[in-house]
Amino acid sequence: MNGSTLTSTRRLFLPTLNGRQRLGATLLALLLAFAWLVPWLFDADPARQQLTRILQLPSLAEPLGTDHLGRSLLARLASAVRLSLGMALLSVASAAIPGVILGVIAGWRGGWLDRVLGSLADAFLALPGLLLVLLLVAIAPGNFWALYVGISLVLWIEYFRVVRARTRVLVASPQLEASRLLGFGPLYLFRRHLWPELAPQVLTLAAFGAASAILAMAALGFVSVGLRPPTAELGLMMIELLPYYHEAPWAMAQPILVLFVLVLSLNLLAGRDPR
Amino acid sequence: MSAYLLQAEDVTIQGEGVTIAPFSCALEAGSRLTLLGETGSGKSLLAQAIMGTLPRGLRARGRLVIDGETFDAADDKSRRALWGRRLALLPQEPWHALDPTMRAVSQVAESHRHVAGRDRRHAQQAAWADLAELGLAEAGGKLPGELSGGMAQRVAFAAASAGGAPIVIADEPTKGLDAPRRDAVVELLARTPESGGVLITITHDIDVARRLGGEVVILRQGQVVERGPAQQVLTHPQSEYGQELLGAEPSRWPRPAPLGETAQAPVVSATDLAKARGGRELFRELSLTVRPGEIVGVVGPSGCGKSTLGDMLLGVTRADDGKIQRATGHPLGFQKLYQDPPAAFSPHWRLSRLLDDLVRRHRLDRSVIPPLMARLGLDERLLERHPGEISGGELQRFAILRVLLLEPCFLFADEPTSRLDPITQRSTLALLVELARERRCGVMLVSHDPALIGRICDRRISLGGEPVSEVRQTLDPALA
Repeated sequence: MNGSTLTSTRRLFLPTLNGRQRLGATLLALLLAFAWLVPWLFDADPARQQLTRILQLPSLAEPLGTDHLGRSLLARLASAVRLSLGMALLSVASAAIPGVILGVIAGWRGGWLDRVLGSLADAFLALPGLLLVLLLVAIAPGNFWALYVGISLVLWIEYFRVVRARTRVLVASPQLEASRLLGFGPLYLFRRHLWPELAPQVLTLAAFGAASAILAMAALGFVSVGLRPPTAELGLMMIELLPYYHEAPWAMAQPILVLFVLVLSLNLLAGRDPR
Repeated sequence: MSAYLLQAEDVTIQGEGVTIAPFSCALEAGSRLTLLGETGSGKSLLAQAIMGTLPRGLRARGRLVIDGETFDAADDKSRRALWGRRLALLPQEPWHALDPTMRAVSQVAESHRHVAGRDRRHAQQAAWADLAELGLAEAGGKLPGELSGGMAQRVAFAAASAGGAPIVIADEPTKGLDAPRRDAVVELLARTPESGGVLITITHDIDVARRLGGEVVILRQGQVVERGPAQQVLTHPQSEYGQELLGAEPSRWPRPAPLGETAQAPVVSATDLAKARGGRELFRELSLTVRPGEIVGVVGPSGCGKSTLGDMLLGVTRADDGKIQRATGHPLGFQKLYQDPPAAFSPHWRLSRLLDDLVRRHRLDRSVIPPLMARLGLDERLLERHPGEISGGELQRFAILRVLLLEPCFLFADEPTSRLDPITQRSTLALLVELARERRCGVMLVSHDPALIGRICDRRISLGGEPVSEVRQTLDPALA
């Protein structure tokens, strides 16, 4: 009895994770710990330059070495991970919430509202995602907010489309009709019938969305249209360290590795057993 | 070489809390075997063990002899080469077995081409010939979504039998079909043994077993309770369970208590209703009334608008024309019971939670629940489970409980027991009728079983012939 209660409560709030998802969650937790513990344990400023100590190998004082301006790579990486994750979280939340709400409304109400919202989503979809982001970045170069708004505008469509399609089926289902006949209101129907069906898909989309937001930001940083130096950002760090790859390959490998692990952990978390 | 086409020797199935006792049979050409039993009796598993399609976690053991060739039942891959050519399975819900994006004739032609090995042109011809023979000549170009349940069943049959397999296993072939379609399917199935094959049918419909004849095996909880020739088993069952099963046939049910006074104002009355769907007229000038406590039966072929009629009375669907008057003062008095009980519940919450929601939403009196649950034969412990974790019969009774808490004045029961086995069906409907009488709740009961309707309903409305042009409303004199 006790066991079944436990499993069912867990099922409601967190989908039961399989092996791969657990690995992803662990990696993500390690990265989070790294990003937030470093500034707390080490007194390191990601922007402090020490030109006498450039491209130094990892040592006790600088566990990950220094870059071409003598800045602590440990501090810079931690700061970059914080930035990437924070921005991913922000853009996923601001894409998922309107996406889900509009999707439910469109799928539920149908008719002209559905058509209007559907065409709006199609209009956004007609623009390639990266182009939209570039467009906004061109309007406000180096601005975090332009980047964030651009990425969110690309991401919400996925939630909208998935939720709309699923809602349309569910609204016509006997379970919703039964509850409606029993006198329950729309909020109840959403909470008890729609959300439990939508949640696993929305959470999967969110994990993938976070990964693509991080990649988009790094890609823009790498081609130097994203955030401006001296911000510590993964793509920006890569391009800054690229000229020194011969002298300090370990320095350049660091942001690449971190980006890889970050995206891998989110993709592992999102991927469900295809059974 | 034996004279038998299919022999099973001591086939057992084990795993995940399921145990099927050793089962043996020997079927020669032209014989029929019917496995009869309630949900969960293991009848489908036996068929899957023969095919080699048992779900993961279940292991079969024993020996199978198919057409003189011996197989180990545990090795489920060994029979794959026989699929379609020697062994064919007619799946339970054929519309799930058909490709929704492919026209009916192509699905049949595919079997002719890839299983029977005909070339493209001959396969196409053979497929059209098959469909024409099954009365589906005009349905060949349609997608499965456009076919009715009975038509989809026939298409699936044509596709499954195109390979010419002599051994056909039909898993609940008549589930959810109305009486004439059911008879047509039985006739269709009977062709296999007539042409020298073997037919194994899995069903909980005693009538189907009787029509097919041959050998009947009654299963319960994985055990063979009784077996023998259909004639004998289905007229004079020896086992207690066999007797109970036969007693659950609608024609043997006791009649419900008489309605009593009928002069009360109707709970719902409709005049001159009309409805068309998909360009087809379902009915026109249909008038009816349902009085408190009255059981009104609705019969008619699939797709004739029985459910639509009920939904119109509930106010869920709009009528094209006509007037519906509902008793006033009961905003929540119009309720519905669904054909597939699990579909009417959100599968993610425990029943106690769902019941709680209802009580809180309408500030109901909690003290009426335990006696009503006892009356419906529902154990308190069931409330701790999710809808998918209790049987269909229990869930349907829970649905009745949920509905009765709102003190309905009109209940539309849309084939509420068609997915339940006969014994559960009988007890569920008996309770429903009893409670409807007691609480003066008018019930509109849809069923595809005329015997059932004739037995428990005070009045009967029959809808539709094939192209519904006129509506006959038969008012049987109160059968008392």
